Amino acid sequence: MASHRIGEIGLSETGPSTHHVPYSVYHGINNPTTFINQEGSAFDFGELEEAIVLQGVNIRNDEAKAPLYAGRPAATLDMFPSWPIKFQHTPRGSSKSRGESTDSGSGVNTNTLSSSIAEARREADSPVSVKGSSSLDHQKLQKPMEMAASDTSPLPSPSQSASKAPQDKRKGGSTSEKQLDAKTLRRLAQNREAARKSRLRKKAYVQQLESSRIKLTQLEQDLQRARSQGFLLGACGGANISSGATIFDMEYARWLEDDHRHMLELRTGLQAHLPDGDLRVIVDGYLSHYDEIFRLKGMAAKSDVFHLITGVWATPAERCFLWMGGFRPSELIKILITQLDPLTEQQFMGICSLQHSSQQAEEALSQGLEQLQQSLVDTIAGGPSIEGMQQMAIALGKLTNLEGFVRQADNLRQHTLHHLRRILTVRQAARCFLVIGEYYGRLRALSSLWMSRPRESMMNDDNSRQTTTDLQIVQATQNHFSNF
Amino acid sequence: MHYQTESWSTYLPAARPVGDPVERIERMAAESAVVIFSVSTCCMCHAVKSLFCGMGVNPTVHELDHDPRGKELEKALARLSGAPPSAAVPVVFIGGKLVGAMDRVMASHINGTLVPLLKEAGALWL
Repeated sequence: MASHRIGEIGLSETGPSTHHVPYSVYHGINNPTTFINQEGSAFDFGELEEAIVLQGVNIRNDEAKAPLYAGRPAATLDMFPSWPIKFQHTPRGSSKSRGESTDSGSGVNTNTLSSSIAEARREADSPVSVKGSSSLDHQKLQKPMEMAASDTSPLPSPSQSASKAPQDKRKGGSTSEKQLDAKTLRRLAQNREAARKSRLRKKAYVQQLESSRIKLTQLEQDLQRARSQGFLLGACGGANISSGATIFDMEYARWLEDDHRHMLELRTGLQAHLPDGDLRVIVDGYLSHYDEIFRLKGMAAKSDVFHLITGVWATPAERCFLWMGGFRPSELIKILITQLDPLTEQQFMGICSLQHSSQQAEEALSQGLEQLQQSLVDTIAGGPSIEGMQQMAIALGKLTNLEGFVRQADNLRQHTLHHLRRILTVRQAARCFLVIGEYYGRLRALSSLWMSRPRESMMNDDNSRQTTTDLQIVQATQNHFSNF
Repeated sequence: MHYQTESWSTYLPAARPVGDPVERIERMAAESAVVIFSVSTCCMCHAVKSLFCGMGVNPTVHELDHDPRGKELEKALARLSGAPPSAAVPVVFIGGKLVGAMDRVMASHINGTLVPLLKEAGALWL
C-alpha cells in the first residue's frame, strides 16, 4: 500500500486531491524540523491555521505513519509549523499534475520543497517573504515537473531520510501547490496578518510590563522614603488625614510657589529699575510672605512640633543645616554681608551688631534646648526611683516645652528679617531678599540633584563614568539655574 | 509675717493688701538692674539666663518654685506680661520696668533696644 511507503506521496490512491500530503516533504526536511522544534516563540497561529487548512483531512491518513514519527503526538498536533506551507493544496485541478509528479518527480519535488520550506522557515516572521518564496516555489516546481519523468532515483533517498527524521511531518504538499484558491489565499493572508498583529501586541504588552515594573520599583522607593520621613504616620485613622503635619506640608508647598512668584517680581523689579515706591511695595510684600510662613509654622508647632523641628517638610540639604526647625539667622546675615555692598558705615555697623545679637540669641536658645534634653534624659533614663508611668507623665510635660523653643526660634528669624528691612534702603532690601530667596532655591535644587544622582549600582563603575553622568545630570537640569 | 496661705491670692489687686503679689513683684523688680523671675526647672528660663550671662550682665534671679508664695506670684506675672498662666515665666525686668517674656526680650535684643536699656540701667558697661 502506498500509505506504507514513506517515500511515496502516497496520495494518489486517495480520493480527493486535498488528501495529497507532501510526505516527500517530511523526509526532506530535517533541518527545518529541528529548527521548528526548537523554536517556540515564533509560533504563529496564522501559520498554524494555514497548515491546518492545507493538511486538512490528510492528517487522518497519516495516522498509519504515526509510528514513524517517534515522539510526536497525534497527527493533528503535529501541525506546528514554524514555516508556513507554501504549497497550497487546491481542491481541484491539480490532482492530475500531482499524479504525474507524485511518483516520478517526488524526489526532485522534495528537494525543491525542502529548500523552499527551509527558506520559509527562515523567514517565518515575515509573511511577505513567505509569499515571495512561495511564488519562487511555484517556479521551482515547474521545472522539476518537467524533469520529473527522467528522474526517479532520488526517490529512495528521501525515504531513507524520512525514516531518520520521523518528525518531518510538515505540511506543504509537493504536488498541486501551485494552484491557490483565491479564497484560501486571502484567508491565509489574513491569518498571517493576524499573526503579525498578535506578535506586535505581544511585544507592546511586554514593553508595557517592563515599564510598569520600573515604575513600580520607583514607587516603592518613594514610598520607602516617605515612610521613613513619617508621612504615613497619620494614615491609620481617618481622622488623622488632615493632621497638622499634612496641612503644614500642603501650605508650605503653596508657600514655595508663592515664593517663586515673589522672587520673579523682585528680580524683574530690580532689573527694570523701578522707582523706590514700587519696589517698596514688592519688598514689603516679600516680608509679609515670610510672616505668613512663620504664622503657619506657629500653628503647626501646636499640633506637631516634631514634624517642624526635625525638618521633615524641608529638602534634605536644607534639613542638614536646619536649626530649631528653620534657618539660623546669623548664618543668613553672614551670607548677606558679602552680597550687599555697598553699605554705609552705619548700615555696616547695624548689620554687624544684628549678626552679633542674633548669635547671642541663638546661643541662648540652643542652651535652653540642651537643658531641656538633659532634663528629659534625666527623667526617662532615671533609675527605679521614679515609677514608670509617672516618669512618662513628667517627660510628656517637659516635651511640651519644645513648642516654645520652636516658636522662639521662628520669632528670632522674623525679627531678624524685619530689622534687616529697617536697616537697608529699599533697593538694598530688595537685593537682600533676592539673595536669600536664591540661596534657598539653589539649596533645594541641590537637594533634588542629589536625589536624582546615579545610585550605588553605578559606584562600581570607574569614576570617570560617574563623573560624566553627574555632569550630564547637571547639564540636564540647567534650567534650574537659568532663573538665577 | 508674709507666710500667708493661698487664700491671699483671692484678693483683688485693687485692694492692694500688704502681701499683694503685684506689689511684691514690683518691689523685687526695683531691687536690681536686671531681675528675672524664673522657675528652676524651666528650660526657657535657663535660656534667658544664658542670654544675659552671655552678654555679660549679672541678673538677679528669683526662683519662684523656691518661694512659698511662688504660685500667686506666677499668676500675677502671667497677668502682667499677658502670657498664659502655664508659661508665666520667665519674665524680665530691667531698671524696674517690665520688659516681658522671652519673645519680647529677644525681639528687643534683635532690634538693638536691649543693650541701650541695659546700659541705661547700669547693668552693662561699654
